[in-house]
Amino acid sequence: MLHRRIYQFLIIYAIGLGLLLALKYGLSLSDYVIPSPAEIVQTCRTYGGPYLLAVLNTLAVAILGHILSICLATLVAVTGRLTAWIGSFIRTAAYNIQAYPIVAVAPIIFILLGDGLQSRLLIAAMICYFPLLLSFIGVFSEPIREIEHFYESTGRMTWRLQVKIRAFENIQKLTTVIVGSATMAMVGTIVAEFIAATAGIGYSIRIALYQSDLAKILVALFWIGVGTSFYLVSLEWVGNALQKRLRSL
Amino acid sequence: MPLEGRHISYRYPNASGEVFSDLDFRISGPGFHALFGPSGVGKTTLAKMLTGAIKGFDGEIVENGIRRVLYTYNLERLPGWSNVRAHFEEIAPPAGRRRMEELIETFGMAANVDSRFHRLSLGQQNRANLIRYLLQDFDLLIMDESLANVDEITREKIILKIKILFPDRCFLYISHNVAEVAKFCSQVLVLRSPSRSPQLVAAQGCDHREGAESDSGRLERAMLEIVHAA
Repeated sequence: MLHRRIYQFLIIYAIGLGLLLALKYGLSLSDYVIPSPAEIVQTCRTYGGPYLLAVLNTLAVAILGHILSICLATLVAVTGRLTAWIGSFIRTAAYNIQAYPIVAVAPIIFILLGDGLQSRLLIAAMICYFPLLLSFIGVFSEPIREIEHFYESTGRMTWRLQVKIRAFENIQKLTTVIVGSATMAMVGTIVAEFIAATAGIGYSIRIALYQSDLAKILVALFWIGVGTSFYLVSLEWVGNALQKRLRSL
Repeated sequence: MPLEGRHISYRYPNASGEVFSDLDFRISGPGFHALFGPSGVGKTTLAKMLTGAIKGFDGEIVENGIRRVLYTYNLERLPGWSNVRAHFEEIAPPAGRRRMEELIETFGMAANVDSRFHRLSLGQQNRANLIRYLLQDFDLLIMDESLANVDEITREKIILKIKILFPDRCFLYISHNVAEVAKFCSQVLVLRSPSRSPQLVAAQGCDHREGAESDSGRLERAMLEIVHAA
């Protein structure tokens, strides 16, 4: 699974790089606009290590933000399923709020919380929270009648049992949504760092942009791709292991 | 323990026509009874009225001495996180463990209870589902095509055993099988479309029991009565 994702990423990265170099040599662009392969390799040697650490820093914040948003989405969805109108209200609110581009809200967060970890974490959590919430509300408010009927009619149904039934029956859907939102958490963190933070790969890209150093950006993109692939594969592995365990025997 | 419905009329919200129009029925007491009729005539709707899941209808349902009504249908599933036996043990009252084993044996499930529900055949799933309802405290159990996927021989065995184990309980068996309801049921309530009057006709079944001789002439008459009524 891991090698497939990394392999896919490397193909896309190589195609992108190839097109860029084709553009450079096709249009006779200077090294200042698009760096030469030798310069890219040199930049990779110099900045590969620090940028890898920056990506790990970003990944750590993205994972924390992702976990935070999963917990919060679960909590709100489980609460929202209690009454039809609360669920409907949360769903409508989530649809409306997620329509705001996070880039537009991010400056407000930075103004209020500063450019530290809190802001990065909050933006990472926010960007993947609403899609997660909408899916979770859908899962937890949809009755599994053919299973729940027995517990309802014999008076055994509790909210814990109801949540357990619905989560179990939709485990594949939940896993897919969580894996899908992981990329968004990574994107959210990078966007946050790019806007105003003082750490992480987004911050490094901002500096590289100010220096008009495309080679640095290419190195950063390489590590972002590798880091995101690792995270997605880890989530898929956990999801598959969980599903296998639940459905075994 | 008579169960009686008087002048029941009902229309689903936003539906153009009535499901029931001045419907009357009476089940005289405990035993294995049937609710029979073509698809879409309102058998499940009537069952849901008896359980209290559908309210807001005209007329009344009098359930004398019936405290607890349970409704089960053939599409129900057991949760997949544990095997069938673990599920039974979880929902069976402590005093009902012996009965649980007896039902598992009679229903031909002994070899399958250690499997998870989704691994069972449809017929086995039907049986597992019915067992858990029979382990509950009930006065009236409505079985909506609960044995639809079970083979005829096992079905007969199950129904006869239910009659032996639960002589003081009331069962309402919803089925499309004329021969089956005519043979095993005591009263057969034949439900017809609202355009026909009366909408429900009661026929007498053979109420066949274990060890009793089958009277093919009587069975034939009962089947004819039901078919004519439908």
